[in-house]
Amino acid sequence: MRLFQVAAAGLLFLTGVVGVAKADELADVKARGKLVCGTLGTAEPFSFQDLKTREIVGYDVDMCRKVAESLGVALELKPMAVEARIPELLQGRVDILAANLGWTKERAQQIDYSYSYFVSEQKVLVSADSGIATLEQLSGKRVSALKGSSSEQGVRRVIPTAETVTFQDSSSAFLAVVQGKVDGFCASELILVKLRKQAQASAPMSIVEKSVFVEPWGLGVRKGEAAFKAQVNKVLTELDSSGEAGKIFAKWFGPDTVYGMKLDFKIEEIKG
Amino acid sequence: MGYVFDPAAVLTGQYLDWFIWGLATTIALTLAAWLLGMTIGIILTLVRMLPFRPFEWLVAGYVEYHRNVPLLVQILVWYFGVPQLLPRALRMWVNSHHSEFLLAMVALGLASAAYITEDLRSGIRSIPKTQYEAARSIGFSYLQAMSYVILPQALRIVIPPLINQTLLLFKNTSLAMAIGVGELTYRTREVDSYTFKTFEAFAVATIIYLAISFAIMALGAFADRRLKLELR
Repeated sequence: MRLFQVAAAGLLFLTGVVGVAKADELADVKARGKLVCGTLGTAEPFSFQDLKTREIVGYDVDMCRKVAESLGVALELKPMAVEARIPELLQGRVDILAANLGWTKERAQQIDYSYSYFVSEQKVLVSADSGIATLEQLSGKRVSALKGSSSEQGVRRVIPTAETVTFQDSSSAFLAVVQGKVDGFCASELILVKLRKQAQASAPMSIVEKSVFVEPWGLGVRKGEAAFKAQVNKVLTELDSSGEAGKIFAKWFGPDTVYGMKLDFKIEEIKG
Repeated sequence: MGYVFDPAAVLTGQYLDWFIWGLATTIALTLAAWLLGMTIGIILTLVRMLPFRPFEWLVAGYVEYHRNVPLLVQILVWYFGVPQLLPRALRMWVNSHHSEFLLAMVALGLASAAYITEDLRSGIRSIPKTQYEAARSIGFSYLQAMSYVILPQALRIVIPPLINQTLLLFKNTSLAMAIGVGELTYRTREVDSYTFKTFEAFAVATIIYLAISFAIMALGAFADRRLKLELR
């Protein structure tokens, strides 16, 4: 069977590419003199392009920078698509991921998570005139989410009777709820607050008070790199105790930003 | 530490279900869009051949639009744009009735029609003009001459390019993912985002796409052999 041979060759190729072995990440990064950090680059305010400087900046980027500084190496950012995050890390093309990585049990089997450096509240945005005020009212309804996001998984878990419809980007998922193609849009509260503000005049929206779920985010590292992971966690803990973490948070989410949020989580180990 | 390649991890329980549903949706979307594309393609071809010039320009414009605007854009226009042009009541109805599949089918079908009508036109042009004249001279109308004499032959000649269009259409259904149609690529990415078993998920999808493409090619080659015309 020719088909079988093609398939087998493809699989062999994949396994060959994937089977990269690494000795010691921490030593490698120091020897190389730079830390390669994978980030989304399209997720304001976590990692996005500054319109003036054309550089990728954000909360995620600052976290990576702190890790690089602690090692005394340069930081190299690598923007990547959502679905490329884990393969890029596993293949060793990046050392660490700061890419909106929400913790889930299944994901934690593939990679190691650092201590949580952000906690995301996932909520649902609905049309103001829809009369929906509780999560229960969404049962049997259609809810949009970003493709590949944990919001989608959260809706399935918390409101199992709701149907999820996922889109490539937040703006499509948002447009779907504005046009009444879906009844709600589940995403990080941050995004929702911003979108609601933008649409105030043309399409009044409201956010369901109760969050669908609360999700800790961690920096992603390859499994089996104990020394490197310990170093990352040490940096995060120090940022927390020195108050530096609070400053970085305030810079991107604080009262001077459109989000106007207060820091209400601690940097700590993610408990499954 | 090496990575363990384990396709079985994405072929169990709900993930297997998702692949099966995704595959079923892909096949359904391909068939529906193909039928629509074929029907409209034939109609456009007939309209274009009518001896009235503006019709030809109209069809040419249709073909150029679908050939030059990225298919993804066409799909997004049909999903987010066109319903907004409808009267309010109808728009609300469309928006609340799971219109993704339907609108993806329309977008893909109309785009395919543009390519199919071009293929058909070249097929028809390869039939000697004398046959059309002969048909008309024994009293056939334009439609009769076309449907009894020209089209049955032209359709056979264009089997190879039509197979090509079918393959393209089949692969292009993956773009429907952008508007939330749960086809194979959509489901694959879903499995991926749940398990982070990216290589496994996409390897499975690749093999499924390859298998079906081969099947379409084999079927097409068989039809071509059976129906081939010896034209002089």
